[in-house]
Amino acid sequence: MILDLHTHSEASEDSRAPVETYLKWLVRKRDLLPIDGLVLTEHRQWNPAVDYRALEDQYGILILRGAEVETDYGHVLVYGVNEDITRRFDFTNVRLAARELIPEVARMGGIALPCHPGRPTVGLCEHYEKHGPLDGVVAVEALNGGSRRGENERVEHLIERYGYHAFGGSDSHLVSFIGICATEFDRDIHTIDELVQALNQGGYRPVDFRDRLKKEA
Amino acid sequence: MALEIDRSIIGSEFDRTQFEPVKQEEILEYSDVSGETGTTDATGRLIAPPGFVVRLRGKRFMPANLPKFGPNAFDAGKDIEFGAPICEGDALIGVSTVHDIYEKTGRSGSMWFLVLRTVLTNQRDEQVAVIDQKMMFR
Repeated sequence: MILDLHTHSEASEDSRAPVETYLKWLVRKRDLLPIDGLVLTEHRQWNPAVDYRALEDQYGILILRGAEVETDYGHVLVYGVNEDITRRFDFTNVRLAARELIPEVARMGGIALPCHPGRPTVGLCEHYEKHGPLDGVVAVEALNGGSRRGENERVEHLIERYGYHAFGGSDSHLVSFIGICATEFDRDIHTIDELVQALNQGGYRPVDFRDRLKKEA
Repeated sequence: MALEIDRSIIGSEFDRTQFEPVKQEEILEYSDVSGETGTTDATGRLIAPPGFVVRLRGKRFMPANLPKFGPNAFDAGKDIEFGAPICEGDALIGVSTVHDIYEKTGRSGSMWFLVLRTVLTNQRDEQVAVIDQKMMFR
């Protein structure tokens, strides 16, 4: 099963992509982008009222939700967000303490995973060099569709050294970027709880579809 | 170091401008320079292209009591939601408020965003456009 674990829709202030248009694009590009589902990880927010089940049924694509928050160790994707987590952490705070966030989210039933670790200022690598490693990191986003040259490569060293699992996501803010990078799981996933469990246990890897799209162009 | 910003300004109105009725020449001039051509309604009145709204300027662009975000600022874009069409003769009112203030971090560090919202309505109290102007500060 292949999921794009890092996406932004128009609910994020820097994206103009409607969720339904993502789904239409994925259906249209099915041969090149075999994406079974996506996780919406809107910036610094969690809206419990949003419900995409009707769109899931209409397009046959799984839609799960998480959040991208900002910490003193860079940006972090939170999956399995629940009321305990949103009461404990103010997602609008761009200086959340990663040393608290990662273990606390795990204790409350979710998982917090650093994204685009090779990116300057907002990536884990730079902060590890300055402040040392974090406890409790299970996996890092080894492949980010929005990274610049050299940023994804920087993560390989991190994974080798600390033995983290690796996953991928498009970090799409525009419709045509959805699914360009994703994560292939050995198991089927139907719910956010199953995703959290799978991310904790391993058995997944990043997948890159950018070459396929380039060839088509 | 984290900058403490007083967010109480969010929601406050800082400008209310009653514009002169839209003239046919203004619509034609906008169409000429932009390449967007208007059309006419059932009565033959000229309807402006939607982008015409960016021609309108209130009396004040920013609130007088803006927090001090940092020494550098630039235009971070504009979102426009279009509503009822603008016809010649329409008398528009623009009401501007501080819609949002938020901080985010990126490759180059921390930055603040100010969102100024202008709601334009016509003489029938129909919403013509909602314009969100973003400014970035650091």
